Amino acid sequence: MRTRVRAGESSAFAELFDSYARAVYNHAFRLTADWSVAEDVMAATFLEAWRLRDRVDPEGGSLRPWLLGIATNTARNQYRSNRRYRAAANAAAAAELSVPDHADEVADRVDDRRRVATALTALARLRAPEREVVTLCLVEGLDYEAAAVALGVPVGTVASRLSRARRKLRAHAEDAAVGTPYEKVPGNREGGRPARQTRGDHTSVIRPAQEGNR
Amino acid sequence: MNANTPRPHPADQDRSISELLSGTARDLPSGRHEFHKERLMAQIHDIRRDERTETSAPRQQRRLRLPRPAITLPLTAVAVAAAVVAGVWQSGGGAGVRDSGVATGPALTTKIGAATTKGMPQLIDRISLAAADTSHPDVRPGQFIYIESKSADSFIKTVGDKSSLASHALHTRQVWESADGTEGWLIDPSVNDSPEGETLSLPDEQGNTPEATLNAPSYDYLAKLTTDPDELLAKIYKETEGMGNTPDQQAFTTIGDLLGESYPPAELYPALFKAAAKIPGVVVVDDAVDAAGRHGIAVARLDETSGQREEWIFDRKTHVFLGERTVQVRKGTGTDALITPGTVTFTSAIMKRAVVDEMKQTPTRNG
Repeated sequence: MRTRVRAGESSAFAELFDSYARAVYNHAFRLTADWSVAEDVMAATFLEAWRLRDRVDPEGGSLRPWLLGIATNTARNQYRSNRRYRAAANAAAAAELSVPDHADEVADRVDDRRRVATALTALARLRAPEREVVTLCLVEGLDYEAAAVALGVPVGTVASRLSRARRKLRAHAEDAAVGTPYEKVPGNREGGRPARQTRGDHTSVIRPAQEGNR
Repeated sequence: MNANTPRPHPADQDRSISELLSGTARDLPSGRHEFHKERLMAQIHDIRRDERTETSAPRQQRRLRLPRPAITLPLTAVAVAAAVVAGVWQSGGGAGVRDSGVATGPALTTKIGAATTKGMPQLIDRISLAAADTSHPDVRPGQFIYIESKSADSFIKTVGDKSSLASHALHTRQVWESADGTEGWLIDPSVNDSPEGETLSLPDEQGNTPEATLNAPSYDYLAKLTTDPDELLAKIYKETEGMGNTPDQQAFTTIGDLLGESYPPAELYPALFKAAAKIPGVVVVDDAVDAAGRHGIAVARLDETSGQREEWIFDRKTHVFLGERTVQVRKGTGTDALITPGTVTFTSAIMKRAVVDEMKQTPTRNG
C-alpha cells in the first residue's frame, strides 16, 4: 500500500479514502467541534495526503496515523484560536441538546446527542495542542511515538501535554460532579455496564446519561 | 467532596476519557462519502494532468468538454443547489460546472436497448470500413476543425434539501480548433457565460499551455498516434491508469471521447474501433437513439460501478458514427438512486464536421 501511495496510484488513494474517511471525519470533528467544517477538513486532508505522498516512509504499517496527522494540521489551520473552538463547541453542544426529545426518537439517539455534548464540553476545556494529543492518543489509540511523528513534536512533549490534559479532564469531571446532585451508589449496582464505574466516581459524573438511568 | 474516593488508575482513566470522546463518532451524512471520493479522484486527475504539463514541452489545448457524467452528477448537484435568480444558474462548488444559460426540464428518458455480444466482430468490421470510406480532407496549417453537435444531459438537482432529477435541454454546441490545438473557440450555451462563446486559445487564463493528451487531443496529436490496434489499446490503458471507475471502462470512455468530439484522421478510425472491440465487456446494443433522434445500432459498455452504459451509436445501414449517449441501466445507490433506469444522463449527436479557414466560420456544406 505504501509503495502504491508513493507511486501516486489513484486507486490506492481511493482505497485509503474508503478505509479512513470516517475516522478522519470524526477526528476532525473532535478538533473543530463543527460537523460541516469536519467534512471540509476531511476532504482537504485526503487531497493534502496526495500532495505529500512522496514523504510517506516506504516501510511501516497502516497509513492511518499519517492521515490523522495531516488532518490535525489541516484542522489547526481552520481554527487558530481556542476561543473560536470554545464557541463552536458550546454551540454544537447546545444544538445537540436543544433538539426536542421526540417520543419516537430512539433512546440511543438521545444518548448519542448527550455524549456528543459532554465530549465537546470536555474538549473545550483543553488548549488546542492538548486536545490534539488527547484525540490522537486516547481516542485514536496512537502510541506516543506515532503521535509525536504525526504532530511533528518530540515524544516528551506528547507525554507532558497528555498528562496536563488528563489533569484538566479530571478537574472538569469533578466540577461537573459539584454541579450535579449525585449520590454515590454503593456496591456494584451498575455492573454489566463495562468501564463505567470501576474505581471512584470520577468517571461516572462526566457521563450524564447516567442521571436518567438512576 | 470526593476526597475520600480512591484516585482512578491512569489506565482506567484513559479508558474512560477515550470512551467519553469516542462517543462522538458518526458516519458521514448519506451520500457524502461517495461525493468526496469522486471529487478527490477528479482533483487527483486534474493535478496529475497539470503536473504532466509542467514537466513537458508546452503544446496543445484546453478543451471545454462536458465533464464525464460520473463526475458531473454530484458536482452539478452542488452547483445547482446554489440556486437561481431569474433563470441564471450560479455555479456553487465551482470545479467542472459553469454557469449555464440552457433551460432545464424534466429528466430525459429512453427505452433501454437489449445488449448482446453476438455480431460484435462483424459490426466492428463494418463501422471500420465505413469510417475508412468517408473522405477526410487534410488539415493545413492555419486551418480549423469545426465540429457541430447537439447535446443534452440529466443531472440531480438539489434545492434546499430536496433532490430531484432534471435536465439541460437539447442545445447546439460548436467548437473550432486549430490543427495544433493552440487556437480554438467554443459556443455552448450550457458552458459559456455569453452567447458569443469563449476562446479556447492558449495559453489559458492561468497561463498554462497544456500538452495534448489522449484526453485532450489535437488533430496533430491524433495524426501521430499509432494505427496498430494493440499498441493503441496498450497506450490507452497506460495513459489512463488510475482514472475513472475501472481501467476497462476508462479505456472505453477514452476512445468514446476521441470519436465524439474530434476529427480523427481516416487511418486512426479503424484502429480505434478495433482497439475498443478488445476491451472486455463491450457489447452490441440493438437500438439506440442519438440526441438528434436518429435511431441506430450501438457499441456499448456497462460501467459496473455506476450502473450506466455508454453507447456509441452508428447508422444501421451506412454504419456512420452518429453520436453517443450514456444511459442508466441499473439502479444507482445513495443520491444516485434518483437516476432511475432508463434515464439518459448524457446524449450527443454529431451534426457537422468540417475543415474551415477561420475561427467562427461555419462550413457551407457538410464536411
